[in-house]
Amino acid sequence: MGYIQDKDKEYLKGEFDKNMKEEVKLLVFTGPNCQYCNVASAIAQEVAELHEKINFEEFSIDSEEAKIYNVEHVPTVIITDGDKYGGRIRYVGLPSGYEFSSMIEDIMDVSRRHADVSDEVMAQLDMIDKPVKIQVFVTPTCPYCPRAVRTAHRFALLNENITGEMVEAVEFPDWANKWNVMSVPHILINEDVQFIGAYPDEQYIKYVVEAWKKMQ
Amino acid sequence: MNMGFVLPSTSRESKDVDVAIIGGGPAGLSAGIYATRAGLNAIIIDKGNAGGLAEDAPFVENYLGFEGLKGEELAKKFKEHALKYVEISEKNEVTEIKKEDDRFILKAERGDYTAKAIIFATGTTHKSLGVPGEKELFGKGVSYCVTCDGYFFRGKKVAVIGGGNSGAIAAIYLKDLGVDPVIIEYKNQIMCENAYKKIIEEKGIKYITNAMVTEFKGKEKVEKVIYKDRENGETKEIPVEGIFVYVGLVPISDLAKKIGVDTDDRGYIRVSQKMRTNVERIYAAGDVTGTAGQIIIAAGQGAVAALSAYEDLMLK
Repeated sequence: MGYIQDKDKEYLKGEFDKNMKEEVKLLVFTGPNCQYCNVASAIAQEVAELHEKINFEEFSIDSEEAKIYNVEHVPTVIITDGDKYGGRIRYVGLPSGYEFSSMIEDIMDVSRRHADVSDEVMAQLDMIDKPVKIQVFVTPTCPYCPRAVRTAHRFALLNENITGEMVEAVEFPDWANKWNVMSVPHILINEDVQFIGAYPDEQYIKYVVEAWKKMQ
Repeated sequence: MNMGFVLPSTSRESKDVDVAIIGGGPAGLSAGIYATRAGLNAIIIDKGNAGGLAEDAPFVENYLGFEGLKGEELAKKFKEHALKYVEISEKNEVTEIKKEDDRFILKAERGDYTAKAIIFATGTTHKSLGVPGEKELFGKGVSYCVTCDGYFFRGKKVAVIGGGNSGAIAAIYLKDLGVDPVIIEYKNQIMCENAYKKIIEEKGIKYITNAMVTEFKGKEKVEKVIYKDRENGETKEIPVEGIFVYVGLVPISDLAKKIGVDTDDRGYIRVSQKMRTNVERIYAAGDVTGTAGQIIIAAGQGAVAALSAYEDLMLK
């Protein structure tokens, strides 16, 4: 038996059939001494089996691909078209619990090569002309976290300078401690601007713009 | 392993419906099922994930037909059931409602909706205590969600403020995670159901009564909680690294108020027995109406609201 229940697979299949447009790559990076690597890999594989346009690939942390995609932790899951999105839509740690649904939505957005934001938010996103990294610390049992993760990923989809990275705080306690993460979602932009909470796009983008302005 | 919810597509959309249900907790989901089965075209719009505060409940033992399960599991069942009937648009916050002729126009993050009727199932959110240090130390040890943040306090001592059912459940959840919680309750008696009282005793969780919390203290992080012993007036402190606040709930009714819906002085939407508000074709159901804060009651009210909407739209 797999990790994803049969009835959930059935539902997912239906959603993928409706929404999948272009090919999507699910890249899973694994390495030694990694408690959740096998699970991450198995889940990604199970998801990929649900639709012909989802392609699963596994790489070692020592591989050439890990360097290309700047992968430093395992497991890391990257959702990409293998081209313009590069490694900018990523999960460090297992995308389990509530974050599983974020991964599914990301796959569908990457497949249609687009994400939705309002015109006002898009205008602000268009200003970002230098690399901005949005890291979202989460726990798998946080119902508010996927919203913050998905916003980071949608912004990354819409602007090639933005990277959106979920970090599973329970799996990486030292990393979470370094940034004093004690409430999630905890959002860290360019290792500088920080805020806590699942905000609407309009508020979220302000923090992103603030971090970008600091780079000027 | 529970892999969590599977969500529908979140593309931008605009729709014309009979009834727009704002909020996808037990009341909204139940309303969605009843409205659709009655023959109305409905949509549920939720600013986060469908499930509502039921998702935050570490354990639910009083929903008919389920002897005991996690709140998130029950919410998942609700959502799966509702999805068979009705579209649920998640991570989609309604920001403005206007009335034009006989239609309501809802402006939301992912699109605009027009509806003949609205059901407010917007629920409640955690109340803050309002003591010095609470705002300043939020995210630095002060939290309102044990399922979100409990992990960060494993092996550490924390205070749970509020000893009602949700505080008691929070403390039990924390204890099971390996956190060392102490419950601080304002009233001079244990305020949770007997069932939780027993577990608290069995697990050796300390429950302080008759204590008025006056301040959260700490420089970079929470260091201690200060309270006044209401029996003798003495000020006491407990060194803790985290504080979880469970002192009740506040209704989410600002949108409703803006369109003229009547609320009581605490902000709960006033409804008739049929869940109608003072504004024609606007209904409310669930915790936002100020009833018991129980999942089963919310679900029941959602059904009533949907049936009233059906009556008003189709039978008049």
